[in-house]
Amino acid sequence: MRSNIVTLPRGWTADVFARVPARARAHLGIVCVTAAALLFPLVNGNDADIDSAANALAFAALALGLNIVVGFAGLLDLGYAAFFAIGAYAYGVASSWQLQPQWSNVWEPFQWLDLVSRFHTAGGDVVHFQVSFWLMLPVAAAIAAFFGVLFGAPTLRLKGDYLAIVTLGFGEIVPIVARNTPSVTNGAMGLNGVAAPRLFGYDFGVDATPYYYVGLALVAFLILTSQRLKDSRIGRAWMAIREDEIAAAAMGVDRVRFKLLAFAIGAAFAGATGTFYVAKLQTATPEMFMFPVSVMVLVMIVFGGIGSVWGVVVGALVLQILQSWFLEDLSQWLHALGRLVNIEWLQHVELASSIELIFGFILVLMMLYRREGLIPATRRVAPLSLDEQTTQIGRGGFDLLPATAISNRVATGPLLEVSDLTVRFGGLVALRSVELSVPAQTVVAVIGPNGSGKSTLFNVVTGVVPAGRGSIRFAGGEIGRLRPHAILERGIARTFQNIRLFPNLTVLENVMIGMHARLDTGPVGALLRLPANRREEAAAREHAREILALFGNRLLPRADHLAASLSYANRRRTEIARALATQPKLLLLDEPTAGMNPAETLELADQIQSLNRHGLTILLIEHKLDVVAMLADRVIVLDHGEKIAEGPPEAVRRDEEVIRAYLGRSTAFA
Amino acid sequence: MSDYGVLLQQVVNGLSLGAMYALLALGFTLVYGILELINFAHFNVFMVSSFFGMWALEFLGITGQSRVLAGPALAGALVFAFAVTMIGAGILGVAIERLSLRPLRGVRGTAAMITTIGVSYILFNIILLTVGAGSENYPNPLPVVRWQLGEVTLELKELLIWGVAVALMLALHFFVNRTRLGKAMRATAQDAEAARMMGVDVDRVIVTAFFLGSALAGAAALIFGLYYNYTSFIVGYTAGLRAFTAAVLGGIGSIPGAMVGGILIGLIETLGGQLIAVRWTDVIIFSILVLVLVFVPTGLFGRVTSTKS
Repeated sequence: MRSNIVTLPRGWTADVFARVPARARAHLGIVCVTAAALLFPLVNGNDADIDSAANALAFAALALGLNIVVGFAGLLDLGYAAFFAIGAYAYGVASSWQLQPQWSNVWEPFQWLDLVSRFHTAGGDVVHFQVSFWLMLPVAAAIAAFFGVLFGAPTLRLKGDYLAIVTLGFGEIVPIVARNTPSVTNGAMGLNGVAAPRLFGYDFGVDATPYYYVGLALVAFLILTSQRLKDSRIGRAWMAIREDEIAAAAMGVDRVRFKLLAFAIGAAFAGATGTFYVAKLQTATPEMFMFPVSVMVLVMIVFGGIGSVWGVVVGALVLQILQSWFLEDLSQWLHALGRLVNIEWLQHVELASSIELIFGFILVLMMLYRREGLIPATRRVAPLSLDEQTTQIGRGGFDLLPATAISNRVATGPLLEVSDLTVRFGGLVALRSVELSVPAQTVVAVIGPNGSGKSTLFNVVTGVVPAGRGSIRFAGGEIGRLRPHAILERGIARTFQNIRLFPNLTVLENVMIGMHARLDTGPVGALLRLPANRREEAAAREHAREILALFGNRLLPRADHLAASLSYANRRRTEIARALATQPKLLLLDEPTAGMNPAETLELADQIQSLNRHGLTILLIEHKLDVVAMLADRVIVLDHGEKIAEGPPEAVRRDEEVIRAYLGRSTAFA
Repeated sequence: MSDYGVLLQQVVNGLSLGAMYALLALGFTLVYGILELINFAHFNVFMVSSFFGMWALEFLGITGQSRVLAGPALAGALVFAFAVTMIGAGILGVAIERLSLRPLRGVRGTAAMITTIGVSYILFNIILLTVGAGSENYPNPLPVVRWQLGEVTLELKELLIWGVAVALMLALHFFVNRTRLGKAMRATAQDAEAARMMGVDVDRVIVTAFFLGSALAGAAALIFGLYYNYTSFIVGYTAGLRAFTAAVLGGIGSIPGAMVGGILIGLIETLGGQLIAVRWTDVIIFSILVLVLVFVPTGLFGRVTSTKS
């Protein structure tokens, strides 16, 4: 219902808001949130409320960690609580009376470092572990990360769904191990008497307020870490894996390494949070880390928005606070309502005990009706207006190509040499003893009927499909056994027949992922944002825009649009731009003009020609023979996996065998 | 009893558990074969069905283990209980597919899997909130009949379990390999798009897979109740994880694989429990899951992975 009393024009608040620059708006928002969070305990003053808020912060930290694994890298982890448990027990054991080995001289250096103390008992002196909470925060994170790598390494090579079940099992066995090893963990009874943190001689004790501030600092640090990783080479690589693993590998992302990194960092977040949580509760039992905890954290990120940093924090806080503050009140209201309208069962509803049922419904309903969550990770950009679409913002054309786009030109001689290459899929021979040579700085076209093995040839050369027999040499080195990302690093880039862009990333991000192998920023650099990393990132962004500008006004005005929203022809162009961003020596184009109209085909053929003029070697699959005749120096014809002809375009066009392959065997005799 | 006798007895027990896991594993494999989806709801379809079976037997006036039937009365009670449980489970499975998974058909990524986790959690909590957290004494009309074969004791309930499991698996085998719908199912599993173009009603195939898979889980659930004489809201979790391991061990997507995998997991559970320690059973089975996935990801009977890129 819109009120008529307000006389100001509609949307005036939005107007005022819009006049503030976006960056300042974001800063203002952060300042307000921080101030409110800092003042909360002073304003509220109720210890139970502050305690709930501190717990909610712990879960926000967990949600941030799981978001790196599930949201950024797209790996569904159902046993995330296991890493929480590992971090919790690490601190629990390192600062309680659980382990009391006999004192010996070995412990003296540790005593000197204040990690242990010598304690006198009737049966002789024993060691008392008293590792500082502040030291254990990073140490527990490292231990959890170690276990993340340990469990990730064998399983992350598998298809994504298996990971879900393996992590589910992992989440199941960690509490079992904790229960079955009472000598270390005190079994089902749980660890007791875990030391509270101390800071400059002040003991945190059981008062909620100091824990609240530690939790707040932890969450703030993890938000910063998440944001910085997300907007970096690391985050882009993760999101590329999430969107399309094969394309990510073909663009130079080492899948196993980056999945492990996501797993390790996600686990590290949980490890540090576990230490915080146990220090706060001063006890740890196996029941605290069972499957429901993993599900709860998953519900939080699904609710807040998978992949959205602020979303998952809000999701975690809302659900936790709902649980501890409002469900009780809500139940009371329902009871009152039940008495009012005289409905018996309404008077007995206990929402607090049905919280897990509510979680289940949140998961299903969010997936069905709002998969992007409360605060979506990607913001929709308005489509271009007709004016914007037709404005000529620059002539474009590949003659503007920056000199850096094509790396280390090879003067002459064969760049790619394939010999005796055979590939089988079960009983089908996709390629049989294929010989092929691509001289540097030429355009070679591969033609042949559908199913003749053209795309398989590309897949083998780029490492997507393993070579059965034979050798593939590139720029003098054998690449037949390399993995896709290593082949890209050598300088072979490709496009795919059925276009494999990263649909939920922007055009600019797609192109920047192409530069992955040519950039250096690692996780530490991404987090610290040293001047060198900032320079590299800015240069990469600039270079990506230059590459987009090669296509005139086709792509540049759409740089911030999602790849999924592009037209078919623009998706093909983006894929070529992404391949060019890898600074290739050899470019493999799989039917680049498929689905384009004659004018667009001509435009692209022209662009491919100018790329070649700038020294790029091109291997091309194409069905449009006029395009082939225009571009190619040599043509290779495949049929049923065998090379049946090779030569200049005119010669191949007249070849009897080729005509027979294309037009059919019987008609050739007519 | 000699050590050898103890082990042999554990083999007999393992075959019974294995028959149950095999039935449950078939549900995972049927759905995975067609949708490439790990259906976490299956865990608790099994658990809920065990209550269907309990209520069906209680409807006949059977409570606890005191009231024992014989002859036609026993046969009738069992047929009724299996029919109610399997149909109830099948309808539950179809309802889950229609309400929560069909709208997500064609959505990429983890959305469908997360939905099945949500559904599983809903089922779990509905039983927890309505029936309660305690374990229920399962009605069991089977007379305790034992045969002593050398050092091994064989019970009537074990023969019954083996008989039911073999009959259901033969029926499934016949259905998949000899009927029109079964052929459509195999075609859809190979290539859903091509099957659709050849006129196969893919939605109907998917519904059938959910119905059959869930009905088999229903049979497994009733067997669970009759074997252990109890059920509870929590039984779906462990049994489901073991059955899933069985499906992977056999090669997920493969029907004979699920049967063989189930038997193997049953044997590993009882022999492992005997030779190592029962409290480590889950760790042993989980380790097998990881080892199989790492070294033979296609399992014993797995399909060659498709070459689509």
